[in-house]
Amino acid sequence: MGFFRDLFQREQRTDRRIADESPEPQEPSTRNLSKNIDYILYALKRTEDLKVRILKKGDAALLYFEPLVDQEKVQASIFTPIEIGKVDSIHEIPNAKETRNLEEAVNSLLRGHAIYIEDDNRRISQFNVTSVFNRNVDEPANEKVVRGAHDGFVENIMVNINLVRKRIEHRDLKVKFYRVGKKTNTNLAILYMEGIADPEVILKMEERIKSIDADKVQSPGYIEEFIEDSAWSPFPQMLNTERPDRVVANLMEGRVALFTEGSPTSLIAPSTFFMFYQAPDDYNTRWYTGTFIRLIRLASFLIAIGLPALYIAIVSFHFEVIPDDLIAPIKSSINEIAYPPVFEALVMVVIIELIRESGIRLPSPVGQTIGIVGGLVIGDAVVRAGLVSNVMVIVIALTAISSFVVPSNELSTTLRLLTFPLIGLSATLGFVGLIFGFLFIAVHLTKLESFGVPYFAPIAPLRLTDLKDTFVRLPIFMLKTRPKDAHPLNDKAIEDSRKWKKNEQQSKKP
Amino acid sequence: MSSSQKNLKLTRRQYFFIIIQTQIGVGILALPFDLHTAAKQDGWISLIIAWMLLNIILVFLWMLAKKYPEKDYFKIQEFVLTRWVGKTVSALYVIYFSSVGILILLLYSRMISLWVLPNTPYWVLSFMMITISVYIVCCDLITIARIYTMFSALLIFLASLIIYSVKDSKLMYLLPIASNGWGGIITGVDKGIISFLGFLVTLVIYSKVEGSPKDKLKTILYAQFTVFLFYLCIVLVTFTFFSTKEMALVSEPVLYMLKSYQFPIVARIDLFFISIWMVFVATTLSSFLYMAGLGLRRMVNTQQNKWVVFSVGCLFFISSLFIGFDLTKLDRFQTYVVHGGYIFAVGIPLLILLISLFRKNRNKEKTT
Repeated sequence: MGFFRDLFQREQRTDRRIADESPEPQEPSTRNLSKNIDYILYALKRTEDLKVRILKKGDAALLYFEPLVDQEKVQASIFTPIEIGKVDSIHEIPNAKETRNLEEAVNSLLRGHAIYIEDDNRRISQFNVTSVFNRNVDEPANEKVVRGAHDGFVENIMVNINLVRKRIEHRDLKVKFYRVGKKTNTNLAILYMEGIADPEVILKMEERIKSIDADKVQSPGYIEEFIEDSAWSPFPQMLNTERPDRVVANLMEGRVALFTEGSPTSLIAPSTFFMFYQAPDDYNTRWYTGTFIRLIRLASFLIAIGLPALYIAIVSFHFEVIPDDLIAPIKSSINEIAYPPVFEALVMVVIIELIRESGIRLPSPVGQTIGIVGGLVIGDAVVRAGLVSNVMVIVIALTAISSFVVPSNELSTTLRLLTFPLIGLSATLGFVGLIFGFLFIAVHLTKLESFGVPYFAPIAPLRLTDLKDTFVRLPIFMLKTRPKDAHPLNDKAIEDSRKWKKNEQQSKKP
Repeated sequence: MSSSQKNLKLTRRQYFFIIIQTQIGVGILALPFDLHTAAKQDGWISLIIAWMLLNIILVFLWMLAKKYPEKDYFKIQEFVLTRWVGKTVSALYVIYFSSVGILILLLYSRMISLWVLPNTPYWVLSFMMITISVYIVCCDLITIARIYTMFSALLIFLASLIIYSVKDSKLMYLLPIASNGWGGIITGVDKGIISFLGFLVTLVIYSKVEGSPKDKLKTILYAQFTVFLFYLCIVLVTFTFFSTKEMALVSEPVLYMLKSYQFPIVARIDLFFISIWMVFVATTLSSFLYMAGLGLRRMVNTQQNKWVVFSVGCLFFISSLFIGFDLTKLDRFQTYVVHGGYIFAVGIPLLILLISLFRKNRNKEKTT
């Protein structure tokens, strides 16, 4: 459509609007300066931080929000050209954007622009003089890596897109902007690779974003709950990350990244369960190491959700499972304890969660102290006091550590939550309950979908070739095709990149 | 579920695993004992004969399904037997599938009660099982297939535990071969075929699988062979582990066999075996729940999968409560259902095949 509009209305070319908003309300400006100013003041509820500077002895006015505007920029882009004498009137300054619509002027004021109006003239000039405060693109504290890039996203959406574009210098990288939140008017962007990402997924994403109808959209957490498939599932269906390299890798697999203004977190969809276990570190180490670490991580999943439940099932139902030599030490440590194992486990899990939660909010030196006091002192005292058996302390500590191994914070919290129903089941039905619990989780994971894509791929549906980057991490030159789960349009990711080896062998032969 | 996935057909690999998961179920624990009571140490010969007969039956079922590649079994019934007769037969099938489902629930609960949780009431065990099955079935067939494929990895675990026991087997116990005459072996064949009774699933979901009829037949036969191999493995290992006299005393020979081993890390492997076995029970029960639900849906012409499955699940649960752990009732129920299997899984399909051949001829005469 845009093409035809260009064809027939060639003279009226306007600036390309980046976010396809609903058509703005129109309020044509008048030739009367005070009427114009009154309209704007009324629209902005006579807020007192709106500065009105009268110029030209009352014939013109410059309006801007004082807190939003950088005074030096006002000086440089509006007054300096006049002072130097390059132009005669402020309207003539070339970097101004013009309009005759007062509603648009109001919106640009809110965006931090300054507007200039003259008496006897309907033209309104808008100057981008917004002051921007950016922090550095530091490595995100919750996704540190040993080797690899150490930059991270910030709260400014343009800087974030810049970080991605710098890494993918290709014409296929496409950005789409949206405005969500009726009152907050938050800028939102989705990024994807045209020609790799599945159009159906993008359509779904657009449809869901457009159906967001809320006053406030504060963070990706809001958007996630608006657009994810099953809001009742405990598992996160979109990957949160603050790392540009992780976003880039996922874009290249044909996924869609979503950014919002004011948050360094980007959401990636469609995502699968095993994506939460892939860390950028895996690809920066030798592939043996990468594989080993990944297996450890996946084992941590089973330990984190199942170990306390398994232990409780064994000590309260199936003592005979323990081999003869171990029975005596375990039995002796449990015999002293007055409480049933379920109670012990719940007490310890709650203590660990308390320590963790209190440690997060406190300043770091205090937080560490709490960790030591909580972990070591309470753990030791609780065993000595005979409230909790020492084997249980080992089990719960191991569980807590395992839950922190996941490279994604959301999944880690999910795992800690899933421990509770499993503990309950195994405390009531032993192994039978535990198996039922695991069955439920496995069936749930298989049924779950993220943007129409099976969440538990490549296990269910089984795709043997995609296992190459799931449980193991094969050498990168062997990861030739993109994983099928995101339905990439283009399968081939890597061509034969070690042809030099064949060439060398051939040149040696004669 | 997205529109692109809704109309996906099953792959043949998924078909393979659905057949396996439906057939391997409650029976594997008691199969060697049943064969042994009928045919003594020659039970394995009965199993082989049963498998061979089964292949013939499967080819007949395949011929029926091949004639109507777009219709599932219930639609075939309606088409071949005319509308109202077809619906009546479908209703009988729903009752049959439900009874099998109830039987599975009863047998599983009894086994768990015997081996793991002696004090737990019946309704708790069966409620858990029926809940998980309803949860599995209340979605599309493709998702069920994915779940089954995933759980099939556990078969390796079961098989390796059984194969581990080969180290203590004594082939002597199989001798003398056919000493008690062929009469026992023939009664054993009956027990053998019963252990394969889930095979009707090949016919019911045939139309939802992609590929040419020939490839599908291959898949069916391969799946059957895998199941047979697994059964034969269990039977041979237990027959050579226990002597003929011992076999008569142990009703769950697989578990008794595993119970005797102790690894350095864990003891009582039978408990782990029975835990994994529960997964296979759940998949078998889900298959029958699915088939009963499908039949009911075809009967009343509705697309409402969730409510149908939920109500059939409730029916399973509530009607199984009437029997519970009552052994005499259970035995009588089991004989009825198991022998009903011959009518529903062999008799009626063959009858429909015959009628359809007749109808086809008649149609041809009309056209010429």
